[in-house]
Amino acid sequence: MNLVWKLLRQHISIPQFVGFFFANLVGVAIILLGVQFYNDYKALDSEDSFMKADYLIINKKIGALSGLTGAQSTFSQTDIDNLAAEDFVERMGAFTPSSFNVRARFNVEGFVSFSTEMFFESVPDDFVDVESDAWHYREGSSDIPIILPKNYLDLYNFGYAQGKGLPKLSEGILGAMKLQIQIEGNGGHGDFDGRIVGFSSRLNTILVPEQFMQWANQQYANGDEAKEPTRLIVEVNNPTDERITSYLQAHDYETDEDKLDASKTTYILRIIVSIVMAVGIVISILSIYILMLSVFLLVQKNSTKLENLLLIGYSPTKVSFPYQALTVGLNALVLLLAVAVMLVVRSIYLEMFQNFFPDLEVPGILPTLCVGVLLLVMVSIFNIIAVYGKVMSIWKRKD
Amino acid sequence: MNKIQLIDTLPNVFLSRSDIMSDIWQQKVTFEKGGLYLVEANSGTGKSSLCSYIFGYRHDYQGQILFDGEDISQYAVGKWTEIRKRHIALLWQELRLFPELTAWENVQIKNKLTGFQKKKQIEEWFEMLGITDKQDAKVGRMSFGQQQRVALIRALCQPFDFLFVDEPISHLDDTNSEIMGRIMTAEAKRQGAGIIATSIGKHMELPYEQVFKL
Repeated sequence: MNLVWKLLRQHISIPQFVGFFFANLVGVAIILLGVQFYNDYKALDSEDSFMKADYLIINKKIGALSGLTGAQSTFSQTDIDNLAAEDFVERMGAFTPSSFNVRARFNVEGFVSFSTEMFFESVPDDFVDVESDAWHYREGSSDIPIILPKNYLDLYNFGYAQGKGLPKLSEGILGAMKLQIQIEGNGGHGDFDGRIVGFSSRLNTILVPEQFMQWANQQYANGDEAKEPTRLIVEVNNPTDERITSYLQAHDYETDEDKLDASKTTYILRIIVSIVMAVGIVISILSIYILMLSVFLLVQKNSTKLENLLLIGYSPTKVSFPYQALTVGLNALVLLLAVAVMLVVRSIYLEMFQNFFPDLEVPGILPTLCVGVLLLVMVSIFNIIAVYGKVMSIWKRKD
Repeated sequence: MNKIQLIDTLPNVFLSRSDIMSDIWQQKVTFEKGGLYLVEANSGTGKSSLCSYIFGYRHDYQGQILFDGEDISQYAVGKWTEIRKRHIALLWQELRLFPELTAWENVQIKNKLTGFQKKKQIEEWFEMLGITDKQDAKVGRMSFGQQQRVALIRALCQPFDFLFVDEPISHLDDTNSEIMGRIMTAEAKRQGAGIIATSIGKHMELPYEQVFKL
């Protein structure tokens, strides 16, 4: 093969290949960075692993007078139907409050012990992003999965524990402990073990599975006043949609602005990343076009040699191989360097991320590598076919 | 491959002509393996076309060309590669050497593909043809007569059933053409192959079994 290569490398234009190399390097590096950055950002954004993104929690405004005038702070069925009919709503669910008394005790021998009155709420289970096994209540069982607001933990760690010189608790430690829950109402009472499956920064409530709530409300509800929900959870298709804000204003509803903003940021970021990646893809496609042009030019300039090789018994596959190896090799080299560039840039922005989120767990680079290898394979197949086609046109020219 | 047959074959460029007087075109011709043939031609009678058709390089003809009874117009790429590598050797009139490579490399590029001839044998041919001192010279710097000898050696670096030599001695003196004839016939005999030589005047003095006038 050496002699064949010695022949066929004649007329190789180094500047053209260098041009391709850097152009494609820029393109591929941008694509890989886009993928990686988006993945890393998602890890940042999904700090709250229990609530999927793009959920809004809506409640009615409580004015100074509403308490006195008895104006409804709950959503009537009409309110719910109207909201559900809006275009921007993908799906929605209501918060179901508990209609019984709840008392929780938290006890670590020798360290902490406190008990408090509290309440439960539930939302439809498919709004809660926990493995269904963990988020499940079996009737008659004393084990209740619970999601607590992240604020509670912060209050304890940075306020209470700090002030009393008590040890700080991590989410992991708390997950392994039990809350002793006492429920009472309708003349009955029951004891349960609360198992904390997680902390949510999106939900300012104490969440239990819907099944449990239905069962417990039946069992322990005081009276049978029909409860209308005070809060709704809504999945919107586009959080930047102006109509959401105007709808909420028009109906005197409130949502947590931060959440809406955060969702907006994610949404806009997704668009920006898509645009940047599209630019990367365009650069890559153009550079591969340059590569193919210069390979075709090379084939053209060496067409007599190629033809003579074919005539002394070299197969088109053998004759194509050097140019195919050249292009695939270049592409592979580009990928390797692009991964290196991606890693360097990533280490820079991760450092910035980590200033804000010290215990941030970032995902690996495997998905990005897969994207890169997939690109390499696709482009290589295209190159291999194109070079072979060009050589075959030399074979057939004299037809 | 034992037999090459031409049945009513005619280059497309001659279609409009009605005065074709040829032993080959529009005839039934058979070349047998092991035979020794001479095709004599005036220029412009389609000598090189004949070689190109039989080598699968061109297909612009009417009629049929058969290898062992198979119509070659249906042959696929792989089949032609196989024929060029194992069954038919061709010394082109225009040689088709690679001027960037040395004489030795020009031969090796073929012999590496087929792995057919021993290095010693090739060196012996260089020696016999008096171009040993040119082995490492770039072919582009050699005279056409010297190049013809290199091209012959390259053509012999493969197994073949037929050896086509297209005006092999046009630029050679009598001594060299005699040596070339000896080498060719010896190698063809060793392989049991046929030789088809063409010429437009000067030709090698060999015991031809049949002479065709193209």
